[in-house]
Amino acid sequence: MQLRYVFSELGQGLRRNLSMHIAVILTLFVSLTLVGLGVLLNQQADKAAQHWGSQLQITVWLCKDKDDNPACTGEVTDAQKDAIAAEVEKNPEVADYRFESKEEAFEKVKELLGPEKFDGPNPAATADDMPQSVWITLKDPEQYQGITSAVVGLDGVSGIRDMRDVLKPIYGSINALQWAALATAAFLVFAALLLVGNTIRLAAFARRKEIGIMRLVGASTLYIALPFLLEALVTAIIGVALAGGALAAFMYFGIDQRAATGLAFMPWIGMPEYVVALMSIAILGPVLTLLPTLVLTRKYLKV
Amino acid sequence: MIRFEKVVKAYPGQTHSALDNVTVDVEKGEFVFLVGTSGSGKSTFLRLVLREVRPTSGRVYVAGKEINRLASWKVPRMRRQIGTVFQDFRLLNNKTVSENVAFALQVIGRSRSEINRVVPETLELVGLEGKGDRMPDELSGGEQQRVAIARAFVNRPMILIADEPTGNLDPTTSVGIMKLLDRINRTGTTVLMATHDAGIVDQMRKRVIELDSGRLVRDQAQGVYGFQH
Repeated sequence: MQLRYVFSELGQGLRRNLSMHIAVILTLFVSLTLVGLGVLLNQQADKAAQHWGSQLQITVWLCKDKDDNPACTGEVTDAQKDAIAAEVEKNPEVADYRFESKEEAFEKVKELLGPEKFDGPNPAATADDMPQSVWITLKDPEQYQGITSAVVGLDGVSGIRDMRDVLKPIYGSINALQWAALATAAFLVFAALLLVGNTIRLAAFARRKEIGIMRLVGASTLYIALPFLLEALVTAIIGVALAGGALAAFMYFGIDQRAATGLAFMPWIGMPEYVVALMSIAILGPVLTLLPTLVLTRKYLKV
Repeated sequence: MIRFEKVVKAYPGQTHSALDNVTVDVEKGEFVFLVGTSGSGKSTFLRLVLREVRPTSGRVYVAGKEINRLASWKVPRMRRQIGTVFQDFRLLNNKTVSENVAFALQVIGRSRSEINRVVPETLELVGLEGKGDRMPDELSGGEQQRVAIARAFVNRPMILIADEPTGNLDPTTSVGIMKLLDRINRTGTTVLMATHDAGIVDQMRKRVIELDSGRLVRDQAQGVYGFQH
């Protein structure tokens, strides 16, 4: 296939409809940035939940060696753990539970404070300093008195952490931000779709004579549609690049420079989460422009 | 080459059929005039051959294929066997004469070396040698129509469809265009020409197919335009 024509058409098309293309790119840029933010916030909520437990969870600390709680007589024994498990198991308020080992607890602390503090000859703490725990998921966040009173007096239990009151507003605001970002993005995505549609209509109108001749002499539908598809792809790539840059700026100035240093009590999203967000918008962007282009070129360029 | 079998074409929302039970057979290499008043169904006939529209009932065969059964992705390939010329030339005014002709080959993916060889040949055939670098609006109407014919013929189609090709031209120029179409016909190309031009039809003495309100009312070898019936 001779693509010289296609590329010269692509260049002409981009220049001819420059203002429309800029409108599409800007709309895509803002909507993809918001979608990316939604994805990042969603992952932030997951990360916090992994560390603190979700709103439905309470944590039962088990005794460790040299526990601060005088009721503890040393590291919790397997028999004591079995007794605690049996008590939790039979409680009607409990949906699910699991034991967390010293090593798992140590990994979490390392992730939160940075692993460098725990390497070398003088670590700040070792896995042995960490307590074992039971993470209990409740059926109903309001129904917890039964299980706490049942567990609190058992041998081997050091204490119960119920962070739900603290976590609720944090999760609430993360959730609200996430949905606000996604809802705004949905409106803008709709606007972007309409803009793409209008751009194609204008371009098809400007090129109606060429298109008419191409159809008559038997150019394939793909060949006729190709300049339109490439235009859509170019605008999408620019939109994705801008949104990726904006998200990177958010990660650097918002998370790395502020949240992660000032609010170090919980783990913050980093590079892997940014890559996930980037991948989502890198897929969504081209889909948003190519899909309407495919549908509309079929309509306007029908053979 | 072109065969219509009991073809009916009704457009939605219209009481009369644009074509009503038309059966016609055009052999390879024939020159056929399609005559009739405006609204008699000439354009619909041509659009059916090009498969721009499909018949409501009946069958249309072009080059041995029943084209209303043709998958739409195969339509472009079928159209490469048909050249088309219009009353209003339909040239691209931002391209030179050569580029206009070359465009038809470019967009169906022909190689540049083939284009460089075939385009000057075709321009010579239509009597435009040396004018390849002109822009269409620098040419006379007759010359512009020759460019359009060159573009339609450059791919050496089996069929050439001409929809009122002399409609915008004066009688002398029209004669030149008809001579050109006749020459193309002699290369073995089937020519199907819709026209209102009685003088030309009478002079050429080719087969005449007349439509009236969508019905075939005359199919006459070596006919004239104003046949009384």
